[in-house]
Amino acid sequence: MEKILLKNIDKPESHKIESYIKNGGYNAVREALKLGPDDIIQRVKDSGIRGRGGAGFPTGLKWSFIPKDPTLDKYLCCNADEGEPGTFKDRAIMDNDPHLLLEGMMITSYAIGAAVGYIYIRGEFEFGAKRLEAAIDEAYREGYLGKNIFGSEFSLDMYVHRGAGAYICGEETALLESLEGGRGQPRKKPPFPALAGLYGKPTVINNVETLACVPAIIEKGVEWFKSTGTEKSPGPKIFGVSGHVKKPGLYELPMGTTLRELIYEHCGGMRSDKPLKAVIPGGVSAPLLVPEDLDTTMDFEAMGAKGTMLGSGAVIVMEEGTCMVKVAYITNRFFSHESCGKCTPCREGTIWITKILKRLEEDRGRPGDIDLLEELCGNIFGRTFCPLGDGAVMALRGAITHFRDEFLNHAAHKGCTA
Amino acid sequence: MATVIINGKTSSVKDGTLILDAARDAGVEIPTFCYQADLMGVGSCRMCLVEIEGQKKLQPSCITPVMDGMSIQTETPQILKARQGVLEFFLSNHALDCPVCDKGGECELQDMVYKHGPVEGRYAESKHRFHEKDYILSPVIVKNSNRCVQCLRCVRVCDEVVGRNVLASLGRGHEQEETSFLRSRLDCDHCGNCIEVCPVGCFMRLPYRYKSRPWDLKGTDTICPYCATGCRMVVEERDGEALRARAQIGVGINSETLCARGRFGFDFINDPRRLTTPLVKKFGKLEPATWSEALDFISEKLSGIEGERIGGLASPVLTNEELYSFQKLMRSTLGSPNIDSSTRWDPVVVENYIAASAMTSGGLSVFDAAEADTLFVAGTQLSDENPIVDYIARRISAERGTRIIVASVRDMKLDSSAGLSIRHLPGGLGALMKAAALSLYESKKDKLQGFAGVERFEGLSADVLLGEAGVSSDELAAITKRFETSATVALTAGTDLLRQSCGILALGLLSDVLKALGKEVLILPILDRANQRGAWEMGVLPGLAPGYRTASKRGLGTKEMIEAAAAGGIDAMYVIGEDPVGENPSGVSAFDALSKLSFILVQDTFLTDTAAMADCVLPGAFPAEKDGTFTNQEGRVQAMRRLKAPPGDARAYLAIIASVSGVLSSTTGVCTKTNSMQVFNEIRKEAPAYAGVSLEFNNRKNKLNKLDNREALAGASEGGFTPVAMTSCAPAAEQRGEGEFYLITGNTLFHSGRLSHSSPTLTGLQKGAALELSEADASALGLSSGEEARVQGNDYEVTLPVRLRKGMRDGVVYIPEFFPGVSVERFFTTGVSLPVVKVKKS
Ligand SMILES: Cc1cc2nc3c(=O)[nH]c(=O)nc-3n(C[C@H](O)[C@H](O)[C@H](O)COP(=O)(O)O)c2cc1C
Ligand code: SF4
Ligand code: SF4
Ligand code: SF4
Ligand code: FES
Repeated sequence: MEKILLKNIDKPESHKIESYIKNGGYNAVREALKLGPDDIIQRVKDSGIRGRGGAGFPTGLKWSFIPKDPTLDKYLCCNADEGEPGTFKDRAIMDNDPHLLLEGMMITSYAIGAAVGYIYIRGEFEFGAKRLEAAIDEAYREGYLGKNIFGSEFSLDMYVHRGAGAYICGEETALLESLEGGRGQPRKKPPFPALAGLYGKPTVINNVETLACVPAIIEKGVEWFKSTGTEKSPGPKIFGVSGHVKKPGLYELPMGTTLRELIYEHCGGMRSDKPLKAVIPGGVSAPLLVPEDLDTTMDFEAMGAKGTMLGSGAVIVMEEGTCMVKVAYITNRFFSHESCGKCTPCREGTIWITKILKRLEEDRGRPGDIDLLEELCGNIFGRTFCPLGDGAVMALRGAITHFRDEFLNHAAHKGCTA
Repeated sequence: MATVIINGKTSSVKDGTLILDAARDAGVEIPTFCYQADLMGVGSCRMCLVEIEGQKKLQPSCITPVMDGMSIQTETPQILKARQGVLEFFLSNHALDCPVCDKGGECELQDMVYKHGPVEGRYAESKHRFHEKDYILSPVIVKNSNRCVQCLRCVRVCDEVVGRNVLASLGRGHEQEETSFLRSRLDCDHCGNCIEVCPVGCFMRLPYRYKSRPWDLKGTDTICPYCATGCRMVVEERDGEALRARAQIGVGINSETLCARGRFGFDFINDPRRLTTPLVKKFGKLEPATWSEALDFISEKLSGIEGERIGGLASPVLTNEELYSFQKLMRSTLGSPNIDSSTRWDPVVVENYIAASAMTSGGLSVFDAAEADTLFVAGTQLSDENPIVDYIARRISAERGTRIIVASVRDMKLDSSAGLSIRHLPGGLGALMKAAALSLYESKKDKLQGFAGVERFEGLSADVLLGEAGVSSDELAAITKRFETSATVALTAGTDLLRQSCGILALGLLSDVLKALGKEVLILPILDRANQRGAWEMGVLPGLAPGYRTASKRGLGTKEMIEAAAAGGIDAMYVIGEDPVGENPSGVSAFDALSKLSFILVQDTFLTDTAAMADCVLPGAFPAEKDGTFTNQEGRVQAMRRLKAPPGDARAYLAIIASVSGVLSSTTGVCTKTNSMQVFNEIRKEAPAYAGVSLEFNNRKNKLNKLDNREALAGASEGGFTPVAMTSCAPAAEQRGEGEFYLITGNTLFHSGRLSHSSPTLTGLQKGAALELSEADASALGLSSGEEARVQGNDYEVTLPVRLRKGMRDGVVYIPEFFPGVSVERFFTTGVSLPVVKVKKS
């Protein structure tokens, strides 16, 4: 398969504008500027691309919600918070091919009528932020950003905004709140950002990878894009594999690649002779899968059908001997640490669960702990303000479902039986 | 309208109504924590979840609007379980120290757990503790975060209503703590609204700490005795000591809010220095006496004096009934036309102010003013003087987009909600309003053919007016543009208009032009004494009888009475609740003048300077120690109830007036009614504007938080009166020379008049007066905050600490009124409303 997302990252000086242009960069945006904004939105709709940030919302549809009123200011925000544990795909693009993201953002801004674009990048990505800022400087220098880009009527300014280290700021409305200088906590929806987003103005928020797909859709065409992937989840996807495999790393593959192919062909199989025990397929919010599920395809539908999610495409592979109680504990410790504190079930529930899991992990469990965990999950799930709390619960429920005995043994002080 | 089905019952509500409100309307109670009427919804506590047919997830009813045809369930097993779950989560990290918590017994968490909570606790882990000991946030606020339910009501009320925005959350997740910046001492309004809205015992009153349990308190409905906003509150006592004042959601225009004066300033009532027995002067010394001794003495002394040679002065913090009876006693029993209700305002100016602010056409709701297209706040330091009006304006402007224009000399908190803030010169408000009127008139001259009173524009020049106002033509254009594009314009008429009478005519002119342009004009008086409007409507003015009728004989006002006393023109004075000697409102020394009288009768709660030189002093009662009504600045007539008896032998003023009247005359004009309802019924007849006023509604808790009880607004006065024409309205300013400053005065956030200085809590919040001036002026004088400066006027000087003020106009200094040891009024020699002073570093 021809790569479009990771095609440049290993090239020398790939982050420089010269290198990007030499490899055919900034042609798509020139082409796009010849099309009407509505035409671009239509093409993106037709391509069937779904957001790569986790929720898989159809990108073209999201853009089409932006009001056409030319007197309204509109904004594009690139979600570069990449906070989901296990996820490291956006970073590769920003560090090594920043102009691909800029070009995607230019086309998107033009399509939705935004004159300003923000890249909200997680605080820890200092290197990436510098690379992006340098890339933006280069683009201004070349006249690719600023007034009347490529001699057209279209003008665009772009800024990098660094977060301050909160997972919740990857949630789109918390991102907006943080970008405005407020406390990073989600806003109530409706109103949705497409109508009232940044500073109350219509706003599109897209993931880095989503935006990085846009130039190819314009340049290579809708049909080309649809020719990879599955019917309902077309296009390429970056899978970031970590854990007990021989060759962890980033793999750009068609949507719908099976887990088996990903782990055993692309990643070279398990790192030792211990067999596979469990796979988290889409970042730690996604319930885990077990060896029986290896032939499931990696796309939004198939993953959903298995009760889990494709999420960000961050695959965490665990071998036999991994303690699932410990995995659950570490995961929940993350969620309770990252709970923004806004709503009661997530704020109080995740920390409670974490404390119980810690006890279990240390063999200080009590009879009834597992039932209590499940009840607490029930009191959190579906009751929270944003999906963070749900994510925490889904992951834990998955672990308990598949590895109940391990949990019960911990609760009965029998030690780890993993 | 939308049709909704709640628990199977169909009802019809306005589009956009929240499910919670629709349910409450239908009599269905849904428990809440983070929801607070008048604050923007956040939907974070998850207590109010409901089931909506066709939706998988439970939805928060406090932020979800109804849709036509929606079917909602509020009591299914799933919902009950969700509520239990939320409550269990709250309790998991809650301190559960109810036995030592001030909130115990009136805590929303306690009540909610009792009603909806789990019976058993399953949380067996260690609790997160934010801190060990409670910590002090301000002289009136103490904090315990271990009890917090993270509803953010404190943070939101401070930001959205109070406008101070000094609270926020520290930390994240379960470590999130709502407090001040790094828990430091608050530099804020100390209003305690955070305490009032906190559903649990996190924000607590420091002065009330560990003093009582709520069930040991006895409370009564009363009205704040400070400014004329007329905030309703409950004062509570235990064993005869008033311990707490609080506001109630859904009661009064203030609902759950009060300012620092209202919430903490009630404690003057417990002052041990209060008068508890009548005093009669014997051999030059005031000695305790019985009531009958005192009354006999009064009768003997007063009956020999001709009515017209007696002066009467009553405080605008008396009830309508007391004021009405007092003027009746003065006019009918004693036969004296000399009566006034203020030591500060000139009665002729007052009459013109009443006419210009349309008070004769009846009450105007503050909510109507705040909901106008444009609200022009002028003539008042609103945020300090009438804080709850500032809250209402801030809240409603954010909700409805009212455009606020603030025109003032000094900056104020409301500036942050105003689209336009104008800093005019002191005394320049009249010129500013005239300039606005002129500019509106000139731009629409063709439309305004035949404008009545066009001669009022004669000789006016925009340039000269703008110069007098110290305002640029761009600023003026911005004001008139906002007026032009508004269908309703609300103008406030603040007390500065009473100080700078030029503004009154300008207000009339501006309002006439706006009306001629087809706009609806609403004028909202802003007054600084609780019953000032009532005093005027009860006829406690030398030229006006009750109900704004022209008095049959015009008498002397306060200043004239003092001058008459000095010149031998009167022989006696009857003073209730005022202190002309302490306040010295006249060019002549009030002490010297009153010394010449043969008889002074004072009714007061404290031994004031005037009382100390009186021949007879009768001990009176405060609000909360008596029944009666106040009429607030809007013209809203509100009843208050007695909580406890006044100390010792003290009596309500109404009873005292009746006794005095009883010993003076047994025949005509007696006003011996001691029951305030009977007197009020008489007022209804004498002042027809009060005939239809309902007092009932005021004391009823109003569940739906509809705060605007229009039944309490006074009606229009019949006939009306023509004010005595003001002789001149040239700004009575002295010429300001090089290195000199204009001096302005007024109330502060914590003090307004004598009363507040008897409150230990308010004195703790602000003890002494400070001289305020702009940063530029201060640096030119080599002064910085806290240093002392000497202020010199024509025949008075005083040394004060300096406070820098960012938004103050250069060339102006401010000294507050009525601070002990600072007689700011002595800078105001007769006829000068804008004195010039010299300031030096001392
Ligand atoms: C708790 C939480 C964290 C999230 N973090 C990220 C993130 O780090 N990056 C991201 O692109 N989307 C993240 N999302 C998803 C965004 O809210 C949003 O759906 C996405 O940015 C939309 O972009 P897309 O349509 O291009 O996928 C997160 C969502 C939640 C609820
Ligand atoms: S579920 Fe609630 S507490 Fe958790 S992150 Fe979302 S809003 Fe914050
Ligand atoms: S301190 Fe009180 S009002 Fe503030 S968030 Fe906590 S419980 Fe709510
Ligand atoms: S605004 Fe006025 S009436 Fe209301 S509490 Fe404050 S001082 Fe009292
Ligand atoms: S009251 Fe509705 S979520 Fe808190």
